[in-house]
Amino acid sequence: MTTIDLNKVDPYFVRDLMNQPGGEEIEACFSCRTCAASCPIAAINDRFNPTRIIRMTLYGMKKEILSSDFIWLCSSCYACQERCPQGVSITDIMTLLKNMAVKEGYTPSGIKAQMDLIKGNGRIYPLDDFDNKKRGKAGLPPLPTSCEVVKDLFS
Amino acid sequence: MVTFKINDKEVQGEAGEFILQVARRYGIDIPTLCHHDALEPAGMCRLCTVELFDGRKTRFVTACNYPVWEGMAVYTDTEAVHEGRKLIVELLLARCPEVPVIKELAGQYGIDKPRFKGEQDDCILCGLCVRICEKMGNSAIAFSGRGVDMKVDTPFHVQSDVCMGCGACAEVCPTGHINLEDISAQKVAPIPSEYDMGLKGRKPIYIPYAQAIPNTPAIDRDVCMHFRAGGCRVCTEFCGVRAIDHTEQDETIELNVGAIVLAPGFQPFDPSKNGAYAYQRYPDVVTAMEFERLLSASGPTQGHLIRPSNGQAPAKIAWLQCVGSRDIHSCDHGYCSSVCCMYAIKEAVIAKEHAGADLECAIFYMDMRTHGKDFESYFNQARDRHGVRFIRSRVPTIEWAEGQQALTIPYTDASNRVVRETFDMVVLSVGMETPPEAARLAETLGLNLTEGRFLETPTFQPVSTSKEGIYVCGAFAGPKDIPQSVIEASSASAEAGALLNDARGTLTVAEEIPRERDVTGERPRIGVFVCHCGINISGVVDVPRVRDYAASLPYVEYVADNLYSCSQDTQEIVKEAIQEHRLNRVVVAACTPKTHEPLFQDTLKEAGLNKYLFELTNIRNQDAWVHKDHQDMATEKARDLVRMAVARVALMEPLEEYALDIHQKSLVVGGGIAGITAAKNLADQGYAVCLLERSADLGGQARSLFRTWKGEDIQARLNDLIDAVTSNPLIDIRVDSRIFAAEGFVGNFKTTIVSDNGREETVEHGVTLIATGAMESEPREYAYGDDPRVVTHTELDQRFIAQDPSLKEIQTAAFIQCVGSREPQRPYCSRVCCTHSIESALHLKELNPDMRIFILYRDIRTYGEREYLYREARKAGILFIPFSVDQKPHVEATEAGLRITVLDPLLGEEIAITAELLSLASAIVPSGDETLARFFKVPMDGDGFFVEAHAKLGPSEFATDGVFLCGMAHYPKPIDESVAQALAAASRAVTLLSRQLIRMSGMVAHVNPALCSGCGVCVDICPYGAPALLAEGPFSGRAEINPVLCKGCGLCVSSCRSGALNLRGFGEDQIMAMINEI
Repeated sequence: MTTIDLNKVDPYFVRDLMNQPGGEEIEACFSCRTCAASCPIAAINDRFNPTRIIRMTLYGMKKEILSSDFIWLCSSCYACQERCPQGVSITDIMTLLKNMAVKEGYTPSGIKAQMDLIKGNGRIYPLDDFDNKKRGKAGLPPLPTSCEVVKDLFS
Repeated sequence: MVTFKINDKEVQGEAGEFILQVARRYGIDIPTLCHHDALEPAGMCRLCTVELFDGRKTRFVTACNYPVWEGMAVYTDTEAVHEGRKLIVELLLARCPEVPVIKELAGQYGIDKPRFKGEQDDCILCGLCVRICEKMGNSAIAFSGRGVDMKVDTPFHVQSDVCMGCGACAEVCPTGHINLEDISAQKVAPIPSEYDMGLKGRKPIYIPYAQAIPNTPAIDRDVCMHFRAGGCRVCTEFCGVRAIDHTEQDETIELNVGAIVLAPGFQPFDPSKNGAYAYQRYPDVVTAMEFERLLSASGPTQGHLIRPSNGQAPAKIAWLQCVGSRDIHSCDHGYCSSVCCMYAIKEAVIAKEHAGADLECAIFYMDMRTHGKDFESYFNQARDRHGVRFIRSRVPTIEWAEGQQALTIPYTDASNRVVRETFDMVVLSVGMETPPEAARLAETLGLNLTEGRFLETPTFQPVSTSKEGIYVCGAFAGPKDIPQSVIEASSASAEAGALLNDARGTLTVAEEIPRERDVTGERPRIGVFVCHCGINISGVVDVPRVRDYAASLPYVEYVADNLYSCSQDTQEIVKEAIQEHRLNRVVVAACTPKTHEPLFQDTLKEAGLNKYLFELTNIRNQDAWVHKDHQDMATEKARDLVRMAVARVALMEPLEEYALDIHQKSLVVGGGIAGITAAKNLADQGYAVCLLERSADLGGQARSLFRTWKGEDIQARLNDLIDAVTSNPLIDIRVDSRIFAAEGFVGNFKTTIVSDNGREETVEHGVTLIATGAMESEPREYAYGDDPRVVTHTELDQRFIAQDPSLKEIQTAAFIQCVGSREPQRPYCSRVCCTHSIESALHLKELNPDMRIFILYRDIRTYGEREYLYREARKAGILFIPFSVDQKPHVEATEAGLRITVLDPLLGEEIAITAELLSLASAIVPSGDETLARFFKVPMDGDGFFVEAHAKLGPSEFATDGVFLCGMAHYPKPIDESVAQALAAASRAVTLLSRQLIRMSGMVAHVNPALCSGCGVCVDICPYGAPALLAEGPFSGRAEINPVLCKGCGLCVSSCRSGALNLRGFGEDQIMAMINEI
């Protein structure tokens, strides 16, 4: 078991988070575990536990959180946020944490690859003629195989 | 009056009455199917046919609608009548072979199989339904068709819009033919009973609940058929005293009062607002109030625990805490409702008692809040002895487990994994909220509400509102449990009593009682009054027979029977009888002495008789109500009871009630906030007080407290209070003084006080208030005493009061909760520490907003609106870290600071904090000692707190008369609750003082000194200290009873081996006389 020294954590981490829209209410958390019990991800993967992530954030464990891969497991279903009795915007906080992680350069390679795909093709899953052929058989109109507009958006 | 004969017996009836009415009054049975007392007779079923002899010839008439006339002779049970009825029943049986009532009649008349062609109908065309519907003012149904096609139907045989679904037709139908769904176009449902939380129906005329005050039925005008359709008024036909008046209107009554006490209470939170709990969708999701009714013997299931969905016994039940509490998202109830943790534990334990130990009970909670007296040990017992599971996880949703016919709930277990578990029932522990009409009342009166919409009250005047003369008590002033509500009720009356002190007694009217007649030497002349109690008694017991029997008993000079013996006019009848017949003993055979004995005793007094020359024998609760099915034997039992009562009362002697002057001074022991407040209120109500304090100054623990949780300056308020008592000429303050000795009893205490300078003095007082308080214990762990940076709450508060500048410099501060509380050696919760730590932490944040503050806790117990403070603290950045009692934090003093390590259960890792200040929430221990308990004969519990008379209903007094209790000597409590209880104790004391003299019951033990052997068993056994051995005189060494202290329990009498003791009013001769009559 490791010891977390709370005098050596980042005291400004929570404040930074609270200054962003969605992060304001994080301190109201009283660890009731409603979010964890509501979470479809936590139900199948105990590495993801919103209650624990909030607690770690409140402790100021910036590096441990931002460098982790578990914050990326959130599916943004908003079940936790809908039910939090203290009005903590948990899903929004997860998004903020992901943004902060990217800013700090902690993007996991898989996410990076997805981002590159979107930048390049406008889609995570690139379409080709084979897909459109199948769509045609199903009576669906074809879709464009490249999204040049996305490139304009990112440039 | 018409006199005639039924079965050769002479009977009397009123002109215009029918044979059936008269026969029934005389207890003569005539069968009928179509008769209803509230309806005009119709003669439809012909079953009531009787033989009538008019002097010349015999005729057959229907008894229900044949008027009586002078001299007629009726025979109800002749061979011809019998044969006629048998034929009718046989025809009915052929028509309706499956109807129970007809089958039963057929059995009675010995019909096996009808000779006629069988049909499969269930309507006998008695017309009761049609007639009652018309009576209701509605006529939704009628007879249609002719001859053999005749039937009861709605117009055009379609569901009727006219039908209001009152159900009267189904109620009167003897055969069960009526199906409301065929008649009514609207959905017909029972009127939901408010008391049974809608789990049961009620009638339009109802008593809300058994304890309702006044305990008289009321008509619900919204559902009463008279008010809806204009007809009915059936109730008026049945009310024996004609008490029902449908024309009565609401009226506005104006009262001139000097003070108002608001006690509108709370309403339970409606969980249907929270869709995730699916309360409205699944019947097995119930509120705690509904569950309470399911457990109650008077509830819809008579206390049998069943699942509402299928009526089966549940095997697993879950309780979800904080439904509608501590939630600002799905509702705006940021506060804690204070009572739900405790009631959930209680319900789980009782459920297991009802359903057996195999029932699995699980309580899902956030913080277990068992902060009341003896609550923590109840919680421990529920977990350890009863096996109730406690799971720290708030449950977000309830789902239906398809296929399992059960409810699934997700939660996180001790290792923080999400688990889904199924339960047969889920109980929602709903919180309290202020009803909208109560909030409107506050608005009308211009009173302020808090954030949680409760009435705002200051800490030092916990029952005062923002307007002088308006007081509040109970859950309207914040969520609270029964003991605290009862305390506040007394507090509010204390405040009102002080305000209106000048008016005390100005509207009192003295009662005039005639001189008591001396009956010594008179032969007993007993009057016996037998009560019908409407039909409560006479419906089972043959009252006239009991009356006539009583007349035959020895010494009985007068007998009567009354419809309601307790009514005002009967009291006049009793009084007249006593005077006219020179009665000197009275027996009333009616209901329970518990409710009605004082009434009859007053009647005796008004008639000039000693009130003990009376006996009430219970032929209702203990006879008519329990022997409904054995009427003859019930009458026999009533005769036995009356005979015993007559035997006893004949030996009854007039008893003297000792009157005792009450010394008008009070002694308040303890000069803390509670003692000072109690003394001040007693003086404000006009009574002299001696206020005793063992230290040099008044103020007690409050001297070292900084701020209340509402932010009020304690020192300033305390000084105001001390000034108020020191300047009050009615208050005699003795500091540096202790009690050396105390003797006496209610009304007449003599207490010897010795001051530190050795001066001794005896104070005489009528009542004693114990307010000896409690104090902070000295911690024995967490480096306390080894390192000056480790302090207790009051030490930190003293630094706040002194405005210690070094506090601002602190970078990291920590608090540890439950230091010496909630541990095996001291199991109780000290109640105030969570709020105190949070308040102190917030003050530190004020001094230095950048200070990092950690509060290490087991359960945060910021009950009631203190929960807002907890949220404020979190929002201020204070971090709360839970720990369990078996993994307590570790504190190590290093040069850099106090290194505190603790396991974080959520992270599963150890947390280390290095703090410059550690404040310990050390346990509160009582300061009263056993000598004091002995002096005033009051009990103490194992923890050293004084034990009140009744945990719920007598929280501010002792079982010992004249001794009262308040403040932390009762249990640890914050200032507002101490003040409330101090006012309550003063109020309870004034109820005694203001009487000026007390009358003791005449039914006390007495000694025949000639028989007494002086063994002293009675002295040892008496819980009230009434017997004593005489020290001098001719009977020196023999026992004597002080009638003032005797409660008449009879312990000494039954333990006296010399037979020297007897209880007046329950003499051996009287008891033997009663036994001999059985």
